[in-house]
Order: sequence, then C-alpha cells, then structure tokens
Amino acid sequence: MMWVELAWLIPVIPLVAFPFILFFGKSIPKGGGLLAIVAVGAAFFLSLFVVVDVSQGNLPVHGGGEGEPAGGGEAVHAYESSMVWTPVPGPESPLEVGVHIDNLTCLMLIVVSLIGWLVVIYSVGYMAHEEGKPRYYAEISLFIGVMLGLVVANNFLMVFIFWELVGLCSYLLIGFWYKKPEAAAAAKKAFLVTRVGDILFLVGIIAIWNYFGTLNFGAIQEQLKTMLGEGALDVQMLTTMALLVFGGAVGKSAQFPLHVWLPDAMEGPTTVSALIHAATMVNAGVYLVARSYFLFEHAPDALLVVAWIGGITAFMAASMALVSNDIKRVLAYSTVSQLGYMMLALGAAGYSASMFHLQNHAFFKALLFLGAGSVIHSMGTNDMREMGGLGKKMRLTSLTMLVGVLAITGVVPLSGFWSKDEIIVSVFHSGNWPLFLLAVVTALLTAFYMFRLWFMTFSGKPRSKEVDHAHESPCIMTVPLLVLAAFSISTGFIGTPFWPRFQEFINWGHHGGESFGATSGMLMAVSLVVALTGALVAYLLYYRRAASPDRAVSSGAGRAVHTLLTQKYYMDHIYYWFAERVVYGFTRVCDAFDIRVIDGAVNSMSDGAVRAGGRWRRSVSGNVQHYAVGIVIGLCLLILLLKFALPPLDELLGGWPGLSRWRWWEGWGW
Amino acid sequence: MAAGFGELLQLLADNRHLAPELILAVFALLILGLSLLVRDRRVLGWFAVLPLLLSLFLVAGMMGLLDMRLVGFSAFAGPVNSALAGGALAVDSFSLIFKFVFLSVALLVVGTSISFLSQKDRHVGEYYALILLATMGMMVVASSQNLVPLFVGIEIASLSTYALAAFRKRDILSAEAGMKYFIIGATSSAVLLYGMSILYGISGTLDIGLLSRRVGEAAWEPATIVGLSMLIGGLGFKMAAVPFHMWAPDVYEGSPTPVTVLLAAGSKKMAFAAAFKLFLVGLVAARADLSFALGIVAVLTMTVGNIVAISQTSVKRMLAYSSIAQSGYILIALAVATKTAVAGGLLHVVMHAFMKGGAFIAVAAVAWLVSSERLSGYKGLSRRSPFLAFCMAVFLLALAGIPPLSGFWSKFVLFSGAVGAGDWFVWLALAGVLNSALSLYYYARVIKYMYVDDPPADAPPVRPGPSPYTAVLVIALAATILIGLYPQPFIDVAMTAAGSLVP
Repeated sequence: MMWVELAWLIPVIPLVAFPFILFFGKSIPKGGGLLAIVAVGAAFFLSLFVVVDVSQGNLPVHGGGEGEPAGGGEAVHAYESSMVWTPVPGPESPLEVGVHIDNLTCLMLIVVSLIGWLVVIYSVGYMAHEEGKPRYYAEISLFIGVMLGLVVANNFLMVFIFWELVGLCSYLLIGFWYKKPEAAAAAKKAFLVTRVGDILFLVGIIAIWNYFGTLNFGAIQEQLKTMLGEGALDVQMLTTMALLVFGGAVGKSAQFPLHVWLPDAMEGPTTVSALIHAATMVNAGVYLVARSYFLFEHAPDALLVVAWIGGITAFMAASMALVSNDIKRVLAYSTVSQLGYMMLALGAAGYSASMFHLQNHAFFKALLFLGAGSVIHSMGTNDMREMGGLGKKMRLTSLTMLVGVLAITGVVPLSGFWSKDEIIVSVFHSGNWPLFLLAVVTALLTAFYMFRLWFMTFSGKPRSKEVDHAHESPCIMTVPLLVLAAFSISTGFIGTPFWPRFQEFINWGHHGGESFGATSGMLMAVSLVVALTGALVAYLLYYRRAASPDRAVSSGAGRAVHTLLTQKYYMDHIYYWFAERVVYGFTRVCDAFDIRVIDGAVNSMSDGAVRAGGRWRRSVSGNVQHYAVGIVIGLCLLILLLKFALPPLDELLGGWPGLSRWRWWEGWGW
Repeated sequence: MAAGFGELLQLLADNRHLAPELILAVFALLILGLSLLVRDRRVLGWFAVLPLLLSLFLVAGMMGLLDMRLVGFSAFAGPVNSALAGGALAVDSFSLIFKFVFLSVALLVVGTSISFLSQKDRHVGEYYALILLATMGMMVVASSQNLVPLFVGIEIASLSTYALAAFRKRDILSAEAGMKYFIIGATSSAVLLYGMSILYGISGTLDIGLLSRRVGEAAWEPATIVGLSMLIGGLGFKMAAVPFHMWAPDVYEGSPTPVTVLLAAGSKKMAFAAAFKLFLVGLVAARADLSFALGIVAVLTMTVGNIVAISQTSVKRMLAYSSIAQSGYILIALAVATKTAVAGGLLHVVMHAFMKGGAFIAVAAVAWLVSSERLSGYKGLSRRSPFLAFCMAVFLLALAGIPPLSGFWSKFVLFSGAVGAGDWFVWLALAGVLNSALSLYYYARVIKYMYVDDPPADAPPVRPGPSPYTAVLVIALAATILIGLYPQPFIDVAMTAAGSLVP
C-alpha cells in the first residue's frame, strides 16, 4: 500500500468536512474553524506523503488501464486510477472519475493544501469577530476540497465540474458580506465574467470529445501520438480546441480581456483574496493550460496567442496597479499581471519556468495578501492614503511584507528572482522582441508599484488618526506570515540555474533551462537592474519625496495617462455599453418573440392540458361499478385493437413495418 | 428421525437462495405470535425491520453488490443464477433486482409505520405480518418461472394488501379504499387467471419460457388475442395502466400512507416483474402487433396520468396520478423490448421505488407537521420546515428526471433505448420526453408553493421538534442522490438482467 493510492482522499477529506461545518459549525470551536484546520491539515499531510512517494518514483500501475504517464515519451513518474462513472451509448469511452498524479499534480497539491492550511489558520484570527463563521469555514473547506479535486482529476469533464465548483465557491466567498451591495455586485460580476470563459472551455471539451472520443488526459495523448505518427493530425482543429480551452483559462486566471472581475473580487474577506484570488483558484487557468499542454505544443498559433494574451495582461495590469490607492487592489492588479507573466512563459515554451513562477508567486502573493489583511485588520481601511508610518506599530507585518515585496520584485536571492529571470530567459529565447520588451517593462513597473505600496503603508508619517490605534496582529495571524515569508525566501533555491532540481522534477521533456552561460548571466543582470531601478524610483518618490508624483499627473499627457489608468482602460465602460445596448437590445427582441410566439403556443397547449385534466378528473366518479365497467370496456378495446385495428393501419401506412419506413430523424443528420 | 432432519437440512441448503423469502415468512408468523405477548407497537415494528434487513443483506450479496466472502457468507456470494423447485423458481439477476426493490420498499414502509401507527391503532402485529407476507409474495412473483407460483405470489401480495389498505377500518376513507381495491382487484385476478388458462390451452405448458415461446410462434388467432389481452388487462390493473387505473387514485389516497408506499412502490413493481417475464422471455412483446398495442397503452398511461395530475389539489392524489404516469414510462420498455430499453425499465423500477416512496413518506411527514395533505398546506413549507421541503423538492425533481438525480439516469437509459431501437419507437421516446416536460408542470408547482409562496396567515401551526420520519427520509434521499451521482453499478446490474431476458 503506497500513499499515492490514497490520493483520492485528498480532495475528499475537506469535502466531507464541508457539510459538518455547515450544519454543526456553531458547536465546533471557533465556529467550525477547528474542523476546517484539521481537515485541510490532513489533506496537506496526505499530499506531502503522496509527493514523497512520487518523487521516489516506482509508482504502482493501477485500475483504469491508462498507466501511461502524462509526460508522454519518457517514463515520467505518474500514477493513475479511475473507475467508470457512467457509460455512454456509442463508441466513445465511458465517462470516468479518477485521479491522475504526476509531478505537476504534486506541485499543485502542495501549493493548494499548504497555503490553504495556512490561510485557514490565519482566518481564526482574522475572522474572530465576524458573523457567520460556520458559513465561512464551510465554504473555505468546500473550496479547498474542489480545488484539490480539480488538481488530481484525470479527465477534462472532472476538471470542468470542479472548475465550475471553484467558481461557485469564489462567488459565495466574494459575496461573503452579502449585505454589502458592493460585495454582492462583485460576486455577481466575477461569476458572470468567468462564465464567458467557462462556456468557451465547455465548447472546447465538447470539441475534444468529438475529435478524440475520450476526455482522459492520457488517452488523448496516446491518440495524439498515433496521429502525429500517421501524419493524420488536423492542426487547425487542434488549434481551435487549444484556444477554446485557453478561453476557460482566460476567464479563471483573469487574463485580458476578462480580467475585470479580479480587482472587484477584493470585496471579499482578505483571507479569501489571499487564498482564492491570489494563490490558488486564479492559478487554475495557468494549471489548465499546463495540464493540456499536449494540445498546445503541436499548435504553434495557439501558443502565440497564449503568449500575447499573457504579455498584454502582464503589462496592462501592472500599469493599472501604478495608480491605485487601495492596498488590496494594487495586489489584485499585481496578481493579474503575474498570471499574465506565467501565461507569457507558457506561450514562449517556458513550461517549467511558468510552473516555477506559479509556485513561487503562490507563496509570496499569499504572504502579501495576508500581510495586507493584517494591516486592514488593525486599520479598518484599505486606503493607503490613510496609512503611513505603520512600520513601527506593526514590525512583524511590515518586515514579512518587505520579504514579499522583495520576492515579487525579483531581488536576488528571493524566490521571485529565480522564476522571473527564467521567464525572461525563455521569452528571450523565443525570439519575440515585442514580448521580451513587454516582459522587461512589466518587471520594472512591478518593482515600482510594489515598493510604492510598501513605502506608502509602512514608512513616513502617519496620515490619519487610525494609525495611532494600530497594533500588531495576534500570533495566529503572524505565524502564518512568518511561515510564508520563509517559503518566499527559500522556494526559489530549488530551481536556480545552478541547481535546477525543480525543473528536473516538473520536467516535461521541455526543460528550457540550458546550462548557465553568458546570455543567461546577462539576462539575469538585466532583470536585477530593472527591478532595482523600479525600487529606486519608488524610493525617491515615496520615501525621500524627491518629487511629487501628483505634479506629474496634474497636466498634459501625464494627466491623460493617469485618467486612462484610473479608468482601467475604460474596459468596464465598454463592457457596460455592450451589455446595455447590444446584449440587452437583442434580449428584448428575443423576449418579445418568446412572449408572443413560444409562450403563446405553450400556453394554449398547457391550457388545453389543464382543461383536459379537469374534465378527466370529473370522469373519475369514485363509483366502483364504473371502474369495473371501465376495465371491461378497456379489455374489449384492447382485443378489438389487436384483432381489427392493426391490419388496416398496416395497409394504410403501406405494409408493416410501414411506420418505420418514414425515418424522419434521418433527415436531421443525427 | 435423524435421517429426516438431515434431509431437511439438505433441502434447506439446496434451496438456500430462497432464504430471503423463507426468513420473511417465518418472521411474519413469529410476529403474529409475538403480538399476543408484546403490546408495544414500536417493539413489533423493530422486530419487523430485522428480517427485512437480513433478507436485504442476503439479496444484495447475491446481486454482487456486497462481497459476501468478506463476512463469511460465501454460500450467498453473487452473482447468483440458480433454478430451484424443479425449475418453477429461479434466482437470477433479474429476480434479484426486483427483490432488492421490494425489500427496500418494505423497509421504508416499516420504518415509516413505526412512527405512523398511533396508540389508537389495533392489530399492529397483524399489520406488520401482512407487510412481510405481501413482500414475500412479491418476491415469489419475481422468482417465478411457472404460471402457478406466479399467480400464487400475486394473490399472496394482493390479499395482504387488500387488508392493509383497509387497516384503519374505522377511518371511512381507508375502509372505502380497501373495499374498492378488493372488488376491482378480485375482478382483475379473475381476468388474469382466465387469460392464463387460455394461454395454457394454446401452449399446453405452465412453464413461462416455454409458454411464451409457443405463444409467440403460434398463429395470431382470436384465442391468442383474447388470452394476451386478458394478461395485459390483469397485470395492467396492478400496474395501474390506463384504462385499468381508475382504482389507483382512490386507493392510494385512502390507504394509510405507509400502505400507499407499499402499493405504489412495491406491488405495482410486482406486476412489472410478471409482465417482463411473460412478455419478454419468449419475446412475445416483440411481435409487431402486441408491441404496438403495448406502445399505445404506454402513451395513454403516461399522458392520462400526467394530465389528470395537473388538476389535483391533494398532493397525495397528485402523486398517485404521477405514479400512473411513471408506469407508462416503464411500459415503454415492454413495447420496445430491446436490451437497453429493458435495462432502462428495470432501472426505473429501482429508482422509482426510492423517489416515489420518498415522496409519499414526505407527504406523511408534512401531514404530521401541518395536518394537511392539500397543496395549499405546502405554501411556504421551506420556511416552516426546510428539511422536509428540501426532501420533497429532491424527490419531485428526481421524478421529473432532472440530472443529476437518480430519475434522470433511468429515463435516460430508457429513452435512449427506445431511440436506439429506431422505427416508430422513437415516437414512444418522444412521448416520454414530452410527458416528462408536462409532469414538471405539477412537480414544479409544488416546489413553487414550498419555496416561493409565503405561508398563509391562517396556516395551521407547525408541530415542534424533528419529524419522526427523518431517518426514513434520509435513506430515500441518500438513495435518490447517491444513485444519481454514481449510477454505474445499478446500470451494470440492470444490463445483465436485461440481457438474460432479451438477447
């Protein structure tokens, strides 16, 4: 018995905890928090054991037959086990439920369960004074369960089901304070905007099903390999499928042009922002592209689209972060931007670089959000203009935040440096100069706005009275911060160019990290210089006050750019215009058609049914003799039907089985 | 004497696969005796649960749903396929599916009865004994390979349920229900027996397989037509197929609710067990003429059931008509007579037992809670009892065939079987789908009453405390939801069973 055979339990444990917390949360300590900590902790340790199993190799081949690893080609360590969920009439393989554990899964398992666990622990402090704790912990457990389920799933259908469920949890948790209109609106917006991507994803799944006749990752890969061998691969079809799947990723990972929901999603509790909207769920899109990379790798056009969308998103979001004064929104834009970075890396064939950044980003962004949560917890506001000088009051928070800022900025030797550098290297090697430029400029902007955030919050003089009452958060909140800070410093070391253990682990036959040479050294220097430059500018503007940033934006071009950025490139306006004019107009036409034509027909039919029902009801008199007579008459009719009615019917319709000759459904191309 | 005892043991060991039936029969007699000593109706109820659980355990093992070797019952390890009593009875996957349904339903019935029977009710021992005997009769029908045990089984079940329907004889509705049920039932039994005798005359055998084959091959002469029509009529009465259905709403409404569950979810399925055997084994049903007639009966049954259900004001009566409609769906399987369709019909038999049984129990629970079976009593139920409203909503949606609940899968397999058979069977599937849509009208109305409407100002007060039916409801609810989420084992068993009837 190996731990990996229990992998299916990983998502199940938090899922089982969910109803218990929901119904009995009031009688569990901390409003259900304790049970959530235990359940998610169990999932984490189980994940840890599974990862140990996988990294030692030697996995059992099991069940569903598809022992074939996701890596294709070389023997990558992978474990698969599945059972039939429901058969499908037709030649396609049955729909199944199963787990697929490979190195990519392991990475996600650790990221999700560890950060989830830390966030749940932190929540005990952060949510201590809130109403509705059972609901909160139940939904968090549900989220972690379905997110882990998404990660271990072995086929597209399961991924989609969990995909929708994480969307649901996101909706519920953004709207946790549902009595606040902004929160309710933000939840709705997140749900609707991601839904656009989900539909594309669903269409993509149907296309894959039609093309391959299966949704199992391994089986699809097998077929792709055979098709490639026979030269029978329809690249255009493959590109379409890949792009449709990518559509889902665009929605979930808040990529341009569906990024608009993520900043608004900050209306939820900060813990939720840290867990769902920074460290885990938004990574699902990146994970999906990585998981279905077998579709993308033979569709260069699709990869190019991924790269461009990623690059544009990274730059746009970073530029919007420059002007925001809401501490959580800055972090949200930063998340969007970093996710764009990961997509950019995927598109530029930097598979392991992207996954490396995903891992590092999850830790330092969770740290940054929880740090921001700590600040908000003591200040009661998100507005950085009312902060300042908090460094002295909240020493631990400010220092751990500084670690996070240094990590995301990419200062050597923190984790962000190694992965960001690797992304820049892989974009450089792809030879696409505009994208390379975007990546470097984004790195510059990132350094600037992150240091701006830190200086505005923690340094200088207090800008409001609340600062005086600020105090350090309790242990239960600072300890997770310390743990995350430790991870933010250290997770980079497993993937340096000098010791690329991570790249070997995640290796997908795509290891881009060629040996450390002059080019990589130069690029490393470039990314470090860029990061320091951004930090320096922020230092001059927001610490030394060498120049007032307000003056730069008060007139002329500066002002125009500033307005463009604060209005978020007018994306929301465009969407509102489109929704109000185009969609709503079309809807009204449909509505009229529905009321006049369809409802008219249905109503007249249902009226008929209701009236007939009334008449029939009256025919049932309750008199036993009538019933007996009914039976006799029925019998006689049956006999007459069998004796006399069929032969004439037969003749009428042109000989038995004449009815069958009119195969009406064939004309419909079924 | 010792030799005699040894022979007896050998006899029991040879026929061990009939143990579930024997257990029920023995316990029925034990309960009768026990009721002379024990006055507590609850003790009697729990005593009736015991044999049902034991039998269900054995049946599940023989079906292969449980691994009997693990618990040391390897003699009952499934899948079982054995002929007993000189070929008159058979225990195979087909009969076991039905036994599983009958026993599950009987468990629900007894579980409900423990709370339903009150201090005023007398003859509680007889009540439980009759339930066990009725269940046993149904199980015999499922196992019959011969017309004699088939008819005897039907009669055991029928006579027991006649008495059960009139159990509260001082309640005028219950007495009326029992009386009507008995008169119409006796008529139908006569019709059925007459039909059987005619077919025996034609084929010269009582063995169902042989009889069906000979009738299927025989010339289409008047005697055959009359015999088959009477068979359809006699079984149609039990199935509540139109036009033999008129007793059903009165009886379902008037009977004590647990008995209604037994009738709607149990004894009706017995008729399907018999019909599947009689019409499918020799593929009599596949004869174009008969198939067409069965198709007409199916469409009539579901349409009339659904349309009349729309205008009902009593939820219990509405469910009775809905039950008629559900029979119509299962009849499609008989008309189409292909493997997939029959598997769909069998699945629907299983699913329907839980969702319809659950719905009736929910009615009993609501009646206990707000003292009303009227539709108006359900207004705002979600606020007065969220759990009950949720159960009711799940059962109704399952009946309508909404995924991912169990009812969806059986209808899915059934209708796709009909579509796959091609020909005019596609029309049957179409009628089924349209009828499902129609049924949603009255199911959704109840849900609207429960969730959207406010409780009326003069609503009867809600009784405090959890309803005593909670445990039984949870079982039915779990079955409805879990089978819906993971239907595969049941689809497998149904396919195997269908394969044994239809090539």
